[in-house]
Amino acid sequence: MRGASWTEPTVYAVLALLAAGESQPAERGLDWLRSRQLRDGGWPPQAGFDESNWVTALAALIPAGHLGEQAHARSIEWLMGTVGEESTLSYRVRRWLLGDPNPITDSAGWPWVKETASWVTPTSLAILALDKENSRRPDERLRKRIAAGRRYLVERMCLKGGWNHGSVRVYGAEGLPYPETTGLALAALRGISGESVDLSIAVARRFLTACRSADALNWLRVGLMAHRQLPPDYTPPELAYRTLTETSLCMLAAETQKGREIFWS
Amino acid sequence: MTAIKQARTLSRRELLAGAAGAALAGCGIQQRPLTPSRVAIVKAPVYDQRVYGIMQRMLRGLLGDVRGKRILLKPNLVEFEPGTCINTHPIVVHAAFEAFRSLGAASVQIAEGPGHRRNTLDLADAAGYFQTVPHFEANFVDLNLDEVTRVQPVQQFSRIKKLYLPNTALGADLLVSVAKMKTHHWAGATLSMKNLFGTVPSGIYGWPKNVLHWSGIDESIADLHLAFRNHFAIVDGIVGMEGNGPIQGTPKASGVLVAGADPAAVDATCCRIMKINPFQVQYLRLVSGERGTQIAERNIRQVGESIHAVATRFELIPEFQRIRLENT
Repeated sequence: MRGASWTEPTVYAVLALLAAGESQPAERGLDWLRSRQLRDGGWPPQAGFDESNWVTALAALIPAGHLGEQAHARSIEWLMGTVGEESTLSYRVRRWLLGDPNPITDSAGWPWVKETASWVTPTSLAILALDKENSRRPDERLRKRIAAGRRYLVERMCLKGGWNHGSVRVYGAEGLPYPETTGLALAALRGISGESVDLSIAVARRFLTACRSADALNWLRVGLMAHRQLPPDYTPPELAYRTLTETSLCMLAAETQKGREIFWS
Repeated sequence: MTAIKQARTLSRRELLAGAAGAALAGCGIQQRPLTPSRVAIVKAPVYDQRVYGIMQRMLRGLLGDVRGKRILLKPNLVEFEPGTCINTHPIVVHAAFEAFRSLGAASVQIAEGPGHRRNTLDLADAAGYFQTVPHFEANFVDLNLDEVTRVQPVQQFSRIKKLYLPNTALGADLLVSVAKMKTHHWAGATLSMKNLFGTVPSGIYGWPKNVLHWSGIDESIADLHLAFRNHFAIVDGIVGMEGNGPIQGTPKASGVLVAGADPAAVDATCCRIMKINPFQVQYLRLVSGERGTQIAERNIRQVGESIHAVATRFELIPEFQRIRLENT
């Protein structure tokens, strides 16, 4: 194995080990994660970078009982204090002063890194983490933030359903959906129904039969399971699993298929 | 502002003129010559076995001694659309790979950090790299997930606060941008310099690398150009892309490969081939100073075909009609 540890694969490996009942090796990963949490409550993606970013949402998916109540609570607060730059008051005022004709909505997603715009993947992961926390400890503040994030996802859905990284149109050209982000966003919209979700479920089911990427396929499985739309006898095809994250995600999807509560409670 | 930029350019040239020796004289790679840059334009009508010989001859004529050097080829891998003109064609990359090896390079690696799709190896697989390049995975580095170092450029055009770059790219003796000749809906044209966006690690900044957009796209391209001193440019224009590039445009067969040690001169030449005015491409203006001497046609020595012999009009979206050569 080349290089130093990264937060994202470590979180996926910890979640997969915990799901498999391998608590002792998982504890090594948890120790590493606890030691890497920054003062602001978030995590950096790797040791070489000194700022918290989107991987904090992943860490917040680890049950508080394993991560530690205090570390978990701080990660939730970091997520609650983070918003895409386009939803900040200063940015909205600037848009208004410049006469931007696009409507200002009350949606609010999450960025990959602070002081940049919201995107589908970090928003979906943050919603999953906050929703899981809200199931554990219901809180009106959490509920409102999750709802604003979900409005962002619905706004950024591709015109014919599904999601890409978050661009519905570029200079008039319609953005086309990706399987991995479609699966992720559907997972984050668990419990939400309606025409746009139905449209995206149909896109996800089409992707499921054609997708040749392990990462994308397993997020599709999770997304469809969130809406009880994965065929009960579904067996994933043989694919190349090239990274630790992909292997871990496959294990987590399989455990979710067995009814384990990993991405939601 | 203008004066500052001009001063920056002069300073950079002085720096390069004075300091290039230690880094480059040993390998004989001419980097930012004060004399006219040499840019090769060679005809390559289709993606077939002939590309290997064409690449070999072209690089042999342009490069100095690369024996013992670590070469990093950086293609443009963007989307899962086999058979389209979005990605650098794998034959072009493999031809460069084999050419550098035959010229005696100590190592040749291929590296990329796609900006939209996270599953880099799956993307490379779908683009045909696994089938074309033997032992591709063993020779490939995902720049999105590489170890990083914070870089503090001596000159900076963008507003980025902290620029981290992958160690594999920073540590190469020669970073070779193997780009695609495409129009771009935000930058006008994407060529060897814009291709360096793929060196910015998404593992740090995300997919897309939105921090570069917030910091200024053209300015970020200029910063990256300056951050890598030892680079070389190859542009795959055998089949490029016109219209709403870099993803949703349409194929444009140009039948050329363009290469040189001065990426700004190579990109300016590509613009002229595409019938785009390079002086209207903001990032080229930034790196070439107020007078644009570096990209002026008189300061580029064309080798092989003339621009006139291969020039072909690339369609542009309405927002970029102003950069068309005949409109300026």
